[in-house]
Amino acid sequence: MSDPRTGSGEVRVFADYQRDFTEVADVVVVGSGPCGAVAAYELAAAGKRVVLLEEGPPFTPADFELEGSLSMARTMREGGLRFTMGTVMPTMQAIALGGGSLVNSAICNRCPDFRFQEWANEADLARTSRKDLEPHYDAIAAFLGIAPTPDAVQGPRNLLFRDGCKQLGYGSEPCPRNVRECRGSGECFTGCRARAKQSMDISYVPAAIQLGARVLTSVRAEELLSNGRRVTGVAGRVVAPFSGAPGPRFRVEAKAVVLAAGVLASPLLLQRSGNLANSSGQVGEQLQFHPGTSVLGVFPDPVDPIFGATQGYQCLHFLRDGFKLETLWAPPGVLAVRMPGMGHQFKQELLDLRFATVFDAIASCHRSRGRVRERGKSLQPSMRWSFHPDDAAILAHAVWVMAEIFFAAGARKIVPGVASHADEMHSIAEAESLRSRPPRARDMVCASTHVFGTARMHGDPRHGVVDEDLKAHDLDNLYVVDTSVFPLSPAVNPMFTGMALARRSALALAERV
Amino acid sequence: MTLPGLIALALLAWAVLRFAAGYGPRDPALRQLSAREYALVCAAADAAFPPGGVIPLSGTQARIPAHADRYLAALPPRNRLLIRLLFVLIEHATLIFPAPGWDGWRRFSALSLEQRMAVLEGWAHSRFLPRRLAFQGLRAVLTMGYFACPAVLRAMGLAPLAIETPVVAADLLYPPIGQPKSSIRFGVADLDRAVPRTPLDPRGPLQPGFEAPPA
Repeated sequence: MSDPRTGSGEVRVFADYQRDFTEVADVVVVGSGPCGAVAAYELAAAGKRVVLLEEGPPFTPADFELEGSLSMARTMREGGLRFTMGTVMPTMQAIALGGGSLVNSAICNRCPDFRFQEWANEADLARTSRKDLEPHYDAIAAFLGIAPTPDAVQGPRNLLFRDGCKQLGYGSEPCPRNVRECRGSGECFTGCRARAKQSMDISYVPAAIQLGARVLTSVRAEELLSNGRRVTGVAGRVVAPFSGAPGPRFRVEAKAVVLAAGVLASPLLLQRSGNLANSSGQVGEQLQFHPGTSVLGVFPDPVDPIFGATQGYQCLHFLRDGFKLETLWAPPGVLAVRMPGMGHQFKQELLDLRFATVFDAIASCHRSRGRVRERGKSLQPSMRWSFHPDDAAILAHAVWVMAEIFFAAGARKIVPGVASHADEMHSIAEAESLRSRPPRARDMVCASTHVFGTARMHGDPRHGVVDEDLKAHDLDNLYVVDTSVFPLSPAVNPMFTGMALARRSALALAERV
Repeated sequence: MTLPGLIALALLAWAVLRFAAGYGPRDPALRQLSAREYALVCAAADAAFPPGGVIPLSGTQARIPAHADRYLAALPPRNRLLIRLLFVLIEHATLIFPAPGWDGWRRFSALSLEQRMAVLEGWAHSRFLPRRLAFQGLRAVLTMGYFACPAVLRAMGLAPLAIETPVVAADLLYPPIGQPKSSIRFGVADLDRAVPRTPLDPRGPLQPGFEAPPA
C-alpha cells in the first residue's frame, strides 16, 4: 500500500475532538471490525462518501502490551472480564480500530457447504450458499493475502498436532490466515509486533481512507436516528480511550446506515433506538456461541513454544460431529492459569510450559441459545445463555479426542482442565475416563470469542431481522453487517464468512444509495 | 447499656478491627491498591509463589502487587470493583472457610504461609463452583502478575524474542493512543526501511527489557 495520506480520506483520533460536531455522508458504518471495515472499503471504492465510526482507538505497536492481562484490559470490552449469565462463560470482544482482527489469530476458514444448507433450511434462504459467497471469499482472500500457514513458521508445537492427527487418521491442515510474512512470534492475541497480520487497522481501513473514507475513532454510537421506514443517521459521543469518559457529542447524517457493531452491541443499538427493525421480535434473541475449551499437553523434549504461529494447524475432521480442533498459543501467563498445584508444586508445573503445547476445540452449539439486553443504560450487554447438555456432550467428546491426539503425538502427560477428572493424566489409559465418564458443562473451563445470531438473517420477515442482502426487513436503508446475522454457527471460525457476507451486502447497497 | 447493646457494640468493634485495623503501610508508588488490598495481594502472592524452589523468586519478589495495581488501573471502573470485591471475599472468607489451626479464622493476610496455602488449596478444590471460580479469578491475577516479571519468564525459557517492527502504511496515519497526530514520527521514507521478514530463531536475542542483566 502506498501512502494512505495521499487520498481524500482522513482518520480522527481522540485529541482531534474539541467540540460537538456533525458530519454528512452517503453511508455511515458503525464499527470497524472485519465486517464493518470490508463494507466501508467497498462502499468507498464504489465512490460513496463513507464515514466509519469506531469506539476504540487505533493501536500502534507502541501501544501493545505483551503481558496477557494488561493486554486484555486495554483491548477488550469490560477489560476482558465480560461473561454470560445462566451458564457462566467468559466472552471477549475487542474495542479497537479493526475490532477483533487486532487481537485474534487471523484464522480465515470458509463456511462448509453442508452448514450453508442448514442455514438455508433454518432461515429460509435462497441465495446464501458456499457457491454464492465464493467470489466474495476470493476477493477478500486476494486483498488480505489469506493463505495456509507455511511450515517454516509452524514451530514444533503446531507440527505435533499434525503428527498426532496423522497417527490417528484424522485429517488436519495448516490454518489459512490473513497474514503476510509471518515470523512465528505467537503473539497474535496481544497485537502483531511484526506487522505481519493483516488486521483491519492496517489493511482495509487505510485502504478505505485512501479512497476517501473518513474514519472517526474514539466515538461511541448511542442511537440510530430514524424517520418512518428510513434511518437518517447516527448520534453519539466522543469517548476517551480506556476510561470511556464522555466528551463532545456528534451526529452523522447519512442516506444509509450500516450497523456493524458486533453481535452484542448491534442489537443493543437497535433496542435503544426505539426498538428499531424488530417487528419479528428477534432483535437480541437467538444468541449463540462457539464455546471453546482446551487441553494442555507436555512432551518429553522442549517444544520452545514461544516460536510458532499462534494457531497454525487445525482439524476439520469432526465438523459434522459439531466441533473443530485447533492448536493454540497465548501469553504464557494466560496458559499458566490452568496448571495445577499450589506453591512449590505450582512452580514445578510451570517449568513444564517450555515442553508444552495447547490444543483447543470449539463447538457448534445449535441447541444452546440465549438473549442479550442492555444492562441498565450502560450501553453494555447483559447476556443470558444456557449451555445445553447435548452440546456440552459434544465439547466433552472433543476433550477426549484432544487427549487422543496428544498421546498419539508422544505427550508424556496432559492437563485436561476438567474439574471432575484428574488434574494430570499420563497415558491414554488414564485419559480413558474422559470418554467413559464425559465431563459435564460445569466441569469444563469454557470461553468464547465467536458469537452469532442476535439479528438473524431470514427469508421471512416474521422470523428474522434482515434479508439476504443484510438489509433490515422493516427499514429501507438500514443494514446489519456483522455475525449477528448468522442464523446458526458457521461450523468454523466466523470472521471470513462475516466479511464475505459484508462484501456482498456492501456491493448491493452501493447500487442503491 | 443493655446486654444486647453491649453485644452489638462489641461486634461493631470487632468488625472495625477485623476489616480496617492493623494493616501496614502500602507501597507509596501504587496508584490503586489500598493498604488492605496490598496486604491481601502480598499474602496471596507468596502463598501461590513462595520463595525458593525451581524458580527462586517469590510472588512479592516478582512484584505481583505492582502488576495487580497496574491491572486494576487498566480496568474499567465496574470491573475494577469486581476485582476489589474478590479481594475482600478472599480476605474475609476465612470466617466461613477457616484455615487449619485454632486461629484459622483470622483474616487471610494475617495467616501464616502454611495456613494461606491450605486456604487456597481449599478454594481450588471446592465442590462449590462459585468458590472454585473465585479461586481461579484470584490465581489468574496472581499468575499473570508473576509472568509479567522478565526474570520469571527467562527462568522458564518463555521470554519474548526481539522483533524489529517494520513501518507499514497505517503507521503514517495513527499516533500512539492519547497523542495528537502531530506526534506521528514516521514518514514515507520509513516504509522502505529494510527489516528482517524471516521466521524468528527461538535461540535468538530476547526483546529489550527481558534480557538477563549483565553479570
